[in-house]
Amino acid sequence: MVHMTTTVTTPADADAVRFDAVTKSYGDVRAVDGLSLTLRPGETVALLGPNGAGKSTTLDLLLGLKRPDSGTVGVFGTGPREAIAAGRVGAMLQSGGLMDEVSVRELVRLACALHPRPYRVHDVLAHAGITQLADRRVDKLSGGQEQRVRFALATAGANDIIVLDEPTTGMDVSARQAFWATMREQADQGRAVLFATHYLEEADAIADRVLVLHRGRLLADGTAAEIKARAGARKVSFDLDELRAGDGGAAAGLRRLPFVTALDVSGHTVRLQSADADATVHALYGLGLYPRNLEVADLGLEQAFVAITAAEEAKAA
Amino acid sequence: MTGPRPAPTAGTTTTTRATGTTPAPATTYATTTTYATTTTHATTTTDTGMTTNTGTTTARPTSARNPGTAAAGLSSLALVKLEIRRTLRNRKFLFFSVLFPALLFLITAGGENDGATVPDSGLSVPAYLMVSMASFGALTAVLMGNSERIARERESGWVRQLRLTSLPGRGYVLAKTASAAVISLPSILVVLAAGGLLKGVRLDAWQWLALTGAIWAGSLCFAALGVAVGYLANGDTARPLAMILYFTLSVLGGLWMPATTFPHWLQTLGAWLPTHAYAGLGRAIELGGAPHAKDVVLLVAYFALFAAGAAWLYRKDTLKA
Repeated sequence: MVHMTTTVTTPADADAVRFDAVTKSYGDVRAVDGLSLTLRPGETVALLGPNGAGKSTTLDLLLGLKRPDSGTVGVFGTGPREAIAAGRVGAMLQSGGLMDEVSVRELVRLACALHPRPYRVHDVLAHAGITQLADRRVDKLSGGQEQRVRFALATAGANDIIVLDEPTTGMDVSARQAFWATMREQADQGRAVLFATHYLEEADAIADRVLVLHRGRLLADGTAAEIKARAGARKVSFDLDELRAGDGGAAAGLRRLPFVTALDVSGHTVRLQSADADATVHALYGLGLYPRNLEVADLGLEQAFVAITAAEEAKAA
Repeated sequence: MTGPRPAPTAGTTTTTRATGTTPAPATTYATTTTYATTTTHATTTTDTGMTTNTGTTTARPTSARNPGTAAAGLSSLALVKLEIRRTLRNRKFLFFSVLFPALLFLITAGGENDGATVPDSGLSVPAYLMVSMASFGALTAVLMGNSERIARERESGWVRQLRLTSLPGRGYVLAKTASAAVISLPSILVVLAAGGLLKGVRLDAWQWLALTGAIWAGSLCFAALGVAVGYLANGDTARPLAMILYFTLSVLGGLWMPATTFPHWLQTLGAWLPTHAYAGLGRAIELGGAPHAKDVVLLVAYFALFAAGAAWLYRKDTLKA
């Protein structure tokens, strides 16, 4: 595990969220594996990872919906349940259902009544952009509209942290943008925002800080730019006629290409990964070689994680 | 998310985080808070003046952050109210819990002046069936209503969503039970009214009151059973399971008709069912006495059993969710 930012030592009671060596397993599967992390008040943090990385379990642990097998979870210096009971945490989960047979307004009114520090129903509706839907029955809403109602429930009162599990799932581009604009307002009011996502771009655009989770472990903790630089490896593939001709010099030249992190030659097809694909390809031409069917592509988050993991393991060995 | 967006009218909290190695708590809240007041929150009206620029430890509106049990109880009340409102909106449910028992009573109770009595009971047929059907109606309201709703809402994730609010864990079950109890009252009253007004059942004023109270209180036993079924079954199996229990309990317990036509062993079994004790409460009152100790004890024992089962299943579900 590598921390890219300087760890700021803050007293425990100033931490919004604190995980200490938290482990949670389902049968043989370790969903969360010795996770330690700290969120500070007012931070906007993305929890980034591929499906199955343990994001949802991490959020469930944070919200007290699941209990850790070992380790401790603290929210504003208390347990998660206490923090929620005190109205300090607002959450929007994918798995969160809605009460049916009631109107949107009735449901939001309930959420406000249940919150120890509620906002006015009218404002909550307006804020979530569902004023026009207020008199609609909850069970008659589309998926995107339901998401907005969930968001309204999560922001019914003055929380100190808002937790969102892949909140923009099912939203179109403009809804996504509007959603994040609203979220930024929340962050600007000094609340911490923690959201899980598997889009690096979303983390990049929104978060001050990105936590990369992979197989239940914290793989990286830094700014989006730092994470991007690490996950930014690209794959390059091409065919070389020189290899078919048995040119030993060409094969040797490939091994000298700069920024290459992985090289695979099979027949006359070359596949490689590069930390700087532009420089690698430029050097390839510089060797006097003529690659055909040249393709340069993003590694994709999943593969980037594997690459980072491999690098970490190599470093540890 | 595109609607007009007034600046949040309440709770604007500015947080300044002192970074570095400040030994004092690194958080300084300059808080000017005007919370929206609702009838349910007497504790949070106006918290102002939490300003500080000295960097010292800041007081927080702790009272607002640690709602007392009274506030928690009030918030449960909001859920109870909404539960009742939505149930009253459900016509199908109202038909089966309120109108159906009354109709069944009117059809089966026979004529006003038949003078027929139910063997071994000392009661006229209308009086006997009035208690049966009032109990049956209350049973329907609390058992069928609770079980299916809870199972469905666990499946849809609404129960999970509620656990992200300040509502105490038990609040959901309590709200369900309380609202079912409110809904069961009309079922009882409609049947009793039909008995008194249309079928010529004559009782003293205290008997009418005691009857209503006893049948209402007794229905709590089945409300607990409904909660247990809701946590035992899933959205698909809750209804069949509740139906089986409902028919078995109603028929064998003698709610629909006297169980005298059943084989002896089945009657013996039926006599130990909670529904038998339940109907027994009302019949004893109709005869001018207090409910039999055996019936009361049996009903309390069943209530304890169902409530314990419901609590156990609830805890299991909470750990899993």
